Amino acid sequence: MTNEEFAAIKKLNFNMCMQCGECTGSCPISPKSQLNPRRHMLETAYLVSPLTMRPPLKIYERNEIWDCTTCSTCSYLCPREVKPLDIIIGLRGLLVEQGRIPSTLGDALEGVYKYGNPWGLSRSKRSDWAQDLKVKYVSEGEKADLLYFVGCAASYDSRAQEVARAIVKNFNALDIDFSILGNKETCCGNEIYSLGEKGLFEELVQKNLDLLDRYGVQKIVTTSPHCFHAFKNRYGRELPVKHYTQYFANLIDEGKLKLSGKIEKAVTYQDPCFLGKHNDIYDEPRKIIESIPSVRFVELSRSRKRSVCCEGGGGRMWHDIPGERLAEGRIREALDVGAEIIVVACPFCLLTFDDAIKTTGNEEKIQVKDIMELVAEAL
Amino acid sequence: MDTIVCVKHVPETAEAEIAVDSSGKGIKTEDLVFDINEWDDYAIEEAVLMKEKLGGSVTVITMGPEDADKTLRKCLAKGADKAIRLTDKAFERSDAYATAKILHKAIKDLPFNLILTGTQASDDGYAQVGVILAELLGIPHATMVKKIESKEEFVRVNRELEGGLEQVMEVKLPAMLAVQTGINEPRYVSIMGIRKAREKELKVLGLGDLGLKEEEVGESGSWITMEEMFIPPVEKEAEILTGGPDEIAAKIVETLKARGLV
Repeated sequence: MTNEEFAAIKKLNFNMCMQCGECTGSCPISPKSQLNPRRHMLETAYLVSPLTMRPPLKIYERNEIWDCTTCSTCSYLCPREVKPLDIIIGLRGLLVEQGRIPSTLGDALEGVYKYGNPWGLSRSKRSDWAQDLKVKYVSEGEKADLLYFVGCAASYDSRAQEVARAIVKNFNALDIDFSILGNKETCCGNEIYSLGEKGLFEELVQKNLDLLDRYGVQKIVTTSPHCFHAFKNRYGRELPVKHYTQYFANLIDEGKLKLSGKIEKAVTYQDPCFLGKHNDIYDEPRKIIESIPSVRFVELSRSRKRSVCCEGGGGRMWHDIPGERLAEGRIREALDVGAEIIVVACPFCLLTFDDAIKTTGNEEKIQVKDIMELVAEAL
Repeated sequence: MDTIVCVKHVPETAEAEIAVDSSGKGIKTEDLVFDINEWDDYAIEEAVLMKEKLGGSVTVITMGPEDADKTLRKCLAKGADKAIRLTDKAFERSDAYATAKILHKAIKDLPFNLILTGTQASDDGYAQVGVILAELLGIPHATMVKKIESKEEFVRVNRELEGGLEQVMEVKLPAMLAVQTGINEPRYVSIMGIRKAREKELKVLGLGDLGLKEEEVGESGSWITMEEMFIPPVEKEAEILTGGPDEIAAKIVETLKARGLV
């Protein structure tokens, strides 16, 4: 271990850890993985304490570090406010610097570095989803009052593109003037940060801040809670960013958004980790859903802060592990409360649930939809 | 084990929309992303793995424009000790033979036990440079290598043949091995790692430094002349399926069934 790595680990606040195990007990991944935040805290402490006689932690033997979805349950439940998630991201950082990272995750990082998206798809195809839609692209010399930041998943994944299209449709239906960056848009870096690739994250921050400045962006609305979180909390600068649930809930408050179309279905809602646990946004998505006439809203038995991750965060979109997927369990929970639609507000939740509905054979019983798709139907 | 790895900085074309340039002998590269040639990525990884196991040094060498430094820095970040870039206006349009001559001049006086190259380059697909270089240096070579075991005086290598066959042979050192993909798992290099690698030596040599004459390199020093490059027209048999993913999948299944393929 180099001095720099030693210093980086020392900065992490693990000395407050009292080994209570709340983190591991609450970790949704630990039942099916070796991932054990409590043990990682202990071993990291051994790693940096000159007083302990234990051998240094061989983090490169800890492949389970990559199983974490960065849902942050461990961190918000920690009674000593230690934030085991930061330790896990820190340990990932050490592994990344040694080049020890599962190959699919390495490919995702390379994809972002070269093409601006973790799927490594061509930059020239980034805004293909918007070709037949009425959208304004940012242009030099013209200020973009409201920027719709689409994000990588909604730009490239065919299912998630439907959410981007719904958002554009909703903006247009409400006569809201907005712009998109088109093929200039680049990854927000949230997953890159979570994977511990700090150098690449720094580059993305710089690129995105330059873009926002160049086009005089006044307000940003994101599709993904992940992009929202990165802009809000990880860019080292206060940015005027809102997740679309906040933006549209506010339109309801102002009386500018009135939903009249009926959706006569039992609907439940999955709190995305990066909206809920990371940013305490619980009411706005529910306000939008409940404003749709005739929707019968039912809560999942574990919701809000107790909500369970879909397993799409922290780089897990590009790194699968054996065992039942958390999203499959969540679909069963949704069926248990009688839901016919599980509504999401995150492209990763959308994709993991879309898969889980198929793998559990429940295509006839339940659908997954994004809030913006419901709004588009009800407008 | 002192190893020299020859690498090439190539455009990535798998996902890109390719267009032939106005000369009719190349492709438009303005919008393309360049990176290390895939085969060479395995070669540099193999060299670094050997260095980590046996000690010694790794020198990485490329012939190409200044932009190729990105590939060299990546190799340095992976664990190479020093890098050499061979750049000269006169080197442009060199065929595999002329390229090998240029590399030969740069390598012949360097100490080495082993030279590694990728089996081929993804842009021109010649798969010749390494072999010609070995001939010019008067050393043995093996191609399509997918396993290397290092002994004192020789290396034992597995060559990947068609039909799932593998050939094991002993090659006397010093030698040149052209490495096949899949020989290892190339490591990821972090941006911090690439930044740190800026401290490592990167030497740039031109025509004069190598003691070469203009007529020995480039088009005049080549045995092969490129005539034309073109994108084959779409044949009548090609059918592009349209519709949503489910629809397309159903059509594919239908087609496969109709032709008795499943």
